[in-house]
Amino acid sequence: MKILILGAGAVGGYWGARLHQAGVDVTFLLREKRAETVRKNGLVVKSPKTGDAALPVKVVTRGSEGGPYDVIILACKGYDLASAMDAVAPAVGANTTIVPILNGHMHFAALDARFGKDKVAGGLARISGMLGPSGEILNSGGTGVSFGERDGKAARPALVELDAACRKAGIAGGLHANINQDLWDKWIMLGAIASMCGAMRGTVGDIMESDEGAAIMAEILEECRQVAAAEGYPPSGEVVGAIRTSLTQKGGKSVASILGDIEKGGAIEAKSIVGDMLARARKFGVAAPNLRFAYAHLQTYEARRARGGLK
Amino acid sequence: MKILILGAGAIGGYVGGRLHQSGADVTFLVRPARQQVLQRDGLVIKSTKGDITQKVKTVLKGSEGGPYDLVLLTPKAYDLDSAIEAIAPAVGSNTTVVPLLNGMRHLDVLDARFGKGKVVGGLARVGVAMSTEGTILHTSPFAAVSFGERDGKPPRQALAELDAAIKKSGIDGGLHGNIVQDLWDKWIMLCSLAATNCLMRGSSGDILEADEGRAIVMETVDECHKTAAAAGCDPGEAGMQTIRSFLTVKGSRFTASMLHDLEKGAMVEADHIVGDMIARAKKAGISTPNLRMAYAHLQVYLARRARAG
Repeated sequence: MKILILGAGAVGGYWGARLHQAGVDVTFLLREKRAETVRKNGLVVKSPKTGDAALPVKVVTRGSEGGPYDVIILACKGYDLASAMDAVAPAVGANTTIVPILNGHMHFAALDARFGKDKVAGGLARISGMLGPSGEILNSGGTGVSFGERDGKAARPALVELDAACRKAGIAGGLHANINQDLWDKWIMLGAIASMCGAMRGTVGDIMESDEGAAIMAEILEECRQVAAAEGYPPSGEVVGAIRTSLTQKGGKSVASILGDIEKGGAIEAKSIVGDMLARARKFGVAAPNLRFAYAHLQTYEARRARGGLK
Repeated sequence: MKILILGAGAIGGYVGGRLHQSGADVTFLVRPARQQVLQRDGLVIKSTKGDITQKVKTVLKGSEGGPYDLVLLTPKAYDLDSAIEAIAPAVGSNTTVVPLLNGMRHLDVLDARFGKGKVVGGLARVGVAMSTEGTILHTSPFAAVSFGERDGKPPRQALAELDAAIKKSGIDGGLHGNIVQDLWDKWIMLCSLAATNCLMRGSSGDILEADEGRAIVMETVDECHKTAAAAGCDPGEAGMQTIRSFLTVKGSRFTASMLHDLEKGAMVEADHIVGDMIARAKKAGISTPNLRMAYAHLQVYLARRARAG
């Protein structure tokens, strides 16, 4: 099985590196600058949990090279989806399966329209980390992935093979029988933590230091939960309880990566993580006052960034 | 009439400097480092209304140079306690204390310490800052103070004299017939501005770019308006319209100074400007979801600031 991974960042890069180490045929589709770094230094991964490596991985800068591919893993940010689709389009053959691991749900409509619904599986990653100053992947825990058929039917051979490859590579998770539910479970967690860490500009622990922080966090999670339920994917009480516990932990170090992006003046996935959740809340008549504040905060940030008004 | 001014920072330095320049008997109560600079360089004002460098009287203790007829104080609200300690020895039986602070809570604290009869209401509207070298930089076209009796009775002699001195100094404003309303008017504006600018981390113009930005600003103004009305100080429709228009100028780069403080990691008057508005709203049974969110944002900032040391 040949796998193409678009992007070699903290998520796609980590996943691909471990697959490569396990002997899987992985190629990275990268922009010129990133390709140069990876060709020169190898794909460098540092992880206190799963070990360091510098890997001579296969790199292409055009989707037309090195194919055809059985699986394409799309590990880009939501705001880069359009250019990512253009980049992988030449690599998509008649038997290719696309596994997007973007946050939220907005990307499915665009991918389905471009490549056909049957080519697009569901997927997500629970891999946390960031890129270091010389392009090395600094993994900070969380090394799991999840993917599966969105219609809930038996998995196609490519996904079964990807599942086997992940097991061999020591990647947790793998094939999921109800990937839609898993996507919603992740989104409600992310919707809540990204909204709060973004709009409050602090970690979970910092937020818990304010009088109303724990209450607001619980409310915003409930807003997201109600949206998921209205969409037909009510998360189990157990899932919601675990998220609530982790997001209201006194002294908690958890923080959404959107805060790091904001603080370095970068682009953020405001619309796909928070804006679309708010839009769905509106559609279903779910009151979402806290998501509304958070989205206004993120849009204000984007407006200020666009006018060059960030210091 | 002898006037003591606590501090020779941006507002105190500007107001005191203009009073001194026009012949008023002004003394500045300052810390040793500031005294050294003032003795060496004089009090330096660079202003849209004219620059001036002048020698001024300074003391290091409130017990020196008195008794004073008036004590003007312009501290940040979070420095109020130490300001009170500093001026206490200067407050005699006939002294009037004129605080030029935003918000309302300081009045309760000052009343408790000095007695309600000694404390009047006051407010400064001066767009001014102090450079690291201690120069007072007055860059805006406006410089006004207002003050008056909080019970609305005719002003005591000291305030009438201060009014005359202010008019002579070229500073706008002066005696106000309803200073408590004026305090609320400014607080509604400032609290709405600071709460929304800080919660959204942007200028009023930036906030208007968000889908719900305008609605959120308007709701925040409403929360403050209702709280003022419950305190018997509704600014009225014209007053409210002025505030709303000011906060919703498309493209405005205007920001609350609290946002500057946030972005440079400085202390903020969160409790005084936003927290106390929420407390008063709560007492009156008014719900304030927007101020609640803004106050949480400010508290998170303060927690993070404390954590960073």
